[in-house]
Amino acid sequence: MWRQHLYKITLTVPLLSAGLLLALSLGVVKNPLEFDWLDILGEGVVLLVALCWLSLIISSRPAGRVSEWLYYGSLLLVCSFFLDLLDEFIRYPTHIRIMSWLESLPAPVGMLALTYGLVGWHREQRIINRQLQGRELFLRDHRLLDPLTQLYGVNYLYAVLAREMALHRRQQQPLCLLMLGIDHFTAFNRQHGTAAGDDYLTKLAELITSQMRCSDVLCRYAGDRFVAVLANTNLAQADIIGLHLQQHLRLLSAAEATLTVTLVATEVSQQHAAQALQYAETQLNAVKSKAHAAVLQLS
Amino acid sequence: MPVVMFGHTDKNILLQHGITELLQLAQRRGGQLHKLLSGTHIFEPDLQKPLSRCNHRDWLSLISRCQQLHSPELPFVLANSILNNRTIALSQSLFVCANLAGSLRQLLYFRHQLLPVIYPIVQQHGNTLTLQLKPAISLGTQQHFVVTLAIAFIIQLIKQQLGTCHELKVQLTQDCPAFLAHFSGHWPCQLSFNQHVDAIHIPRSLWYQPFAGRDQQQLSQLTRSCYQLNKVLPNQRGVLEVLQRRIRRALPQLLSLDAAAGALGISGSSLKRLLQQHNTNFAALSDTVRRDTARLLLLQGQLSNRQLAIELGYSDEHNFRRAFKRWTGQVPSQFKNLPNPL
Repeated sequence: MWRQHLYKITLTVPLLSAGLLLALSLGVVKNPLEFDWLDILGEGVVLLVALCWLSLIISSRPAGRVSEWLYYGSLLLVCSFFLDLLDEFIRYPTHIRIMSWLESLPAPVGMLALTYGLVGWHREQRIINRQLQGRELFLRDHRLLDPLTQLYGVNYLYAVLAREMALHRRQQQPLCLLMLGIDHFTAFNRQHGTAAGDDYLTKLAELITSQMRCSDVLCRYAGDRFVAVLANTNLAQADIIGLHLQQHLRLLSAAEATLTVTLVATEVSQQHAAQALQYAETQLNAVKSKAHAAVLQLS
Repeated sequence: MPVVMFGHTDKNILLQHGITELLQLAQRRGGQLHKLLSGTHIFEPDLQKPLSRCNHRDWLSLISRCQQLHSPELPFVLANSILNNRTIALSQSLFVCANLAGSLRQLLYFRHQLLPVIYPIVQQHGNTLTLQLKPAISLGTQQHFVVTLAIAFIIQLIKQQLGTCHELKVQLTQDCPAFLAHFSGHWPCQLSFNQHVDAIHIPRSLWYQPFAGRDQQQLSQLTRSCYQLNKVLPNQRGVLEVLQRRIRRALPQLLSLDAAAGALGISGSSLKRLLQQHNTNFAALSDTVRRDTARLLLLQGQLSNRQLAIELGYSDEHNFRRAFKRWTGQVPSQFKNLPNPL
């Protein structure tokens, strides 16, 4: 990410060295006995923290309007804190006021710029939240994400499901689970390699999230299984959603072979999230083994 | 002839036997190659060479970096891709064996080519074959990953070849994870956590079911390539494995540190230092061996406590009972009646 901000980084160094040169040409270096070490420590830490913000912004934000505001705001803060630290080492003649202005003016301007940037960030985040619909509900914790499909994993599913179950029970609304398993995924992996398998999983996750309503959330349950929590949905509606997904998934082909997917919709009436998921899993297994038995009979 | 042993710094893992796969899996899960490899002695060009190797320290640090990706499916998928890798002669030869027994025998004989850091203790009681998996060198926090990898490899083999694995039983030393979905999704068999040993129990009914793809000619061809690979990857054993096997063989006599060191051709203090590197000491190793042996002998169920004490080199049965209680928290008679005793 930081490569997008190269010119911004190169700006920092001359700016700070210009400040240093100006300070050295105007003032004289203090005698080491006059240094107030406690002040130096306090102002040094403040400067370090501001530098830390600067580097975090550079390393985590893509280039753009909001990033510029955030960056230049923090840069002004850094300049101000840097000059503040310098005057602990350098004494200026009393008639020269420019250094004290340079010290105190950039800080409020930088703060304002930073605040404006944060407002922009807030707006941006609202848009991104809408973008994340179908992948995220009320909780955000990046450690629970499945790194392959970028969906949330099973821990997240449990947390969300427990909350939704309590809410739906109180409002007496129906809540459904849609469990989805890929048929013969191990055989597919074996034949085409895990790279193809991983690729298919990623595509599948993308496709399903694009077809979900904004109140639903899709999680990766385990391996080749996904679970969607369908809020305010009864079993008949969930079945329709399942059929709709099934039709769309036919379009998704992977490495010369078309994988099929088994979908099971269950209505949640259990007390605990674990029981509900277990029930859905047994239903899915039953459907799968029935299909398997039918294939065996045909052959 | 002194035994050929390996420790953490010996280069006897072939990059093509699992490491390139691990790196690819990690990269698809958001890991960056240069970050995964930084600090190890593996360089990107090595990954393309067919015979480049790495040492165990590097391998373990790679695993610990991959664990930081928070992808619990990693050991399962890795086992799958090693098993089905067409360039690994050993993996391919497992599919053309006559049956599971032959396949496991082949795996046991050439295991140093795939996973030298785990060694099995094979035991048979009743209608079950038990593979107890133990670390051959100290594996640190990566032990659970490596053990899961080994068990996933065997289960995947059985699932693919025989189409069933419901009758298997798996015991793991690790704590029960909060959510079992990953384990139960990949291993639809009986699972127990927080156990004393890592083991997999295979019922006798599966051993001699003929494999569909059995092919004697192909097997001997692939076995020949395995033998050829032995020139690059000689059959070496981990330090802990060699020592534990020696201690076990010496029972009921207790092998002393100096005797063990003499058998390995090093001095007693060198052995002490060596064991320190593996975060253990000779007394602890010797205790572990007696514990494991006591459990196995108890399971076979014919020996009295007195006989067991003699077999294990205790002066009398009271001492044995006390030691056993220290190991398991139970006296031998209680232990025998547990449903899942190992």
